[in-house]
Amino acid sequence: MNGFTWAFARDLRIAWRHPGETLLVIAFFALVCTLFPLGIGAEPRILERVGPGVIWVCALLAAFLSLPAMFAADYTDGSLEQMTLSPHPMMAWASGKIAAHWAVTGLPLTVLSPLLALQYGLDGATLGTLAFGLLIGTPLLSLLGAACSALTLGARGGGVLLALLALPLFVPVLIFGAGAAEAQAAGVSPAPHLSLLGAGLLAGCVALPPAVCAAIRIALD
Amino acid sequence: MNHQYYLWMSYGMTAIAIAVEIATLALRRARALRAIEAERDLEAQD
Amino acid sequence: MNWFYFASPSTFYRLAGWVAPWAFAAAAILAAAGLYMGLVVAPTDAQQGEVYRVIFIHVPAAWMSMFLYLVMACYAALSLTFNTRLGAMMARALAPTGAMFTFVALWTGAFWGRPTWGTYWAWDARMVSELVLLFLYFGFMALANAFEDPRRGDRAASLLALIGVVNLPIIYFSVQWWNTLHQGSTVKFTGTSMHVTMLWGMLLMAFACWMYAMGATLVRARAIILERERRTRWARAL
Repeated sequence: MNGFTWAFARDLRIAWRHPGETLLVIAFFALVCTLFPLGIGAEPRILERVGPGVIWVCALLAAFLSLPAMFAADYTDGSLEQMTLSPHPMMAWASGKIAAHWAVTGLPLTVLSPLLALQYGLDGATLGTLAFGLLIGTPLLSLLGAACSALTLGARGGGVLLALLALPLFVPVLIFGAGAAEAQAAGVSPAPHLSLLGAGLLAGCVALPPAVCAAIRIALD
Repeated sequence: MNHQYYLWMSYGMTAIAIAVEIATLALRRARALRAIEAERDLEAQD
Repeated sequence: MNWFYFASPSTFYRLAGWVAPWAFAAAAILAAAGLYMGLVVAPTDAQQGEVYRVIFIHVPAAWMSMFLYLVMACYAALSLTFNTRLGAMMARALAPTGAMFTFVALWTGAFWGRPTWGTYWAWDARMVSELVLLFLYFGFMALANAFEDPRRGDRAASLLALIGVVNLPIIYFSVQWWNTLHQGSTVKFTGTSMHVTMLWGMLLMAFACWMYAMGATLVRARAIILERERRTRWARAL
């Protein structure tokens, strides 16, 4: 079994045994998506207009919520150090952890998004673009979030520092993801936005795991 | 608002920002020198 | 030739102390010349009237905000590659000045936009990415100071600076990639359509800001060196 599948299976198993964190993220996403219409007012035209953006922001915040826990537990009980010392390449198991994080947070958010978007009265094509954008965007959020989470291991200032680091890096993903769904809603092709999002994901898959590994090494020194 | 207002707000804020930066620099340098004084006193006590 | 002679905090401290006053003097002279060109010599703009003169602060500040981040990222890369203390200290010294210029660019941009475009803020690509740059500077400073061990903060913040450098091309090319409020580049290497006195005013102010940034950064670097190296013999001998 290689490092990637080992770390992936391990984190999935841990998340399965302690579902609190996952359910919290999903519940937060559903709650906040539901809060917005209550706050803005139920006028259909407004909801339709803000729907994609609101759902994307909620997905962003929900993804952000799960970031502190990505490496913290392993860091405090020493498993992170043991994994670094193991003969498995660091990139492999680090990527496995990031993939597991996405499977446990980003993927449920993506699957749930069409259901929650129905509250905003979005039409089918927009729902599809929204979900597809989230499908491409949430892995990128996991990658960026992993880098920020690894950088802030053991830092003072905790969650606020992580927010200051992660949210500015999330901004382009939000802009293109929400932009794609809004373009679809306006009748224009969402292809440019989705292509850029895909390009970002590919670039992130190449460039961010080494950054995560470097950050973990800095944290363990 | 006539254009003088916008020009003053822009140039004025820049002047304030530069003044604040120079002031904080002076304070930081003074604090660093005081810290070295304290280290010297500690060493002298040995 | 020993390329690393000035990589020692003690030798660099002396070098910085020598250079900084000259940098400030150059900044003052260039700023006086630039402001004279910009506020007195340059003619009134046909479309915007007098308010266009904000350009003599706004554009140099924006250029410096990007340039200083790039220099900061270079020092970050140097400090991570060679594991030097001084590289990280220089990066820490650059960040507040860079943040200051970013703030000035955003502020003056808002006060230029209100009379010309009708709004203080427009959420166009360049403005948003410049705002993200401000947050990157803040994040760098916060992360660098978030650890008990300053070396840990050095390394973490340097890595963050390198991750965030991807924002710079986005800011620079945003006006080409998106059809937004900001016009395209007026000043290119091939020439410009600006009036010559306006151009010179802007360039003189840009060099003035550069010299000022150099002076401020070197003075801050000296303070950081004193703070970090206060237990060494050379510092206590000062």
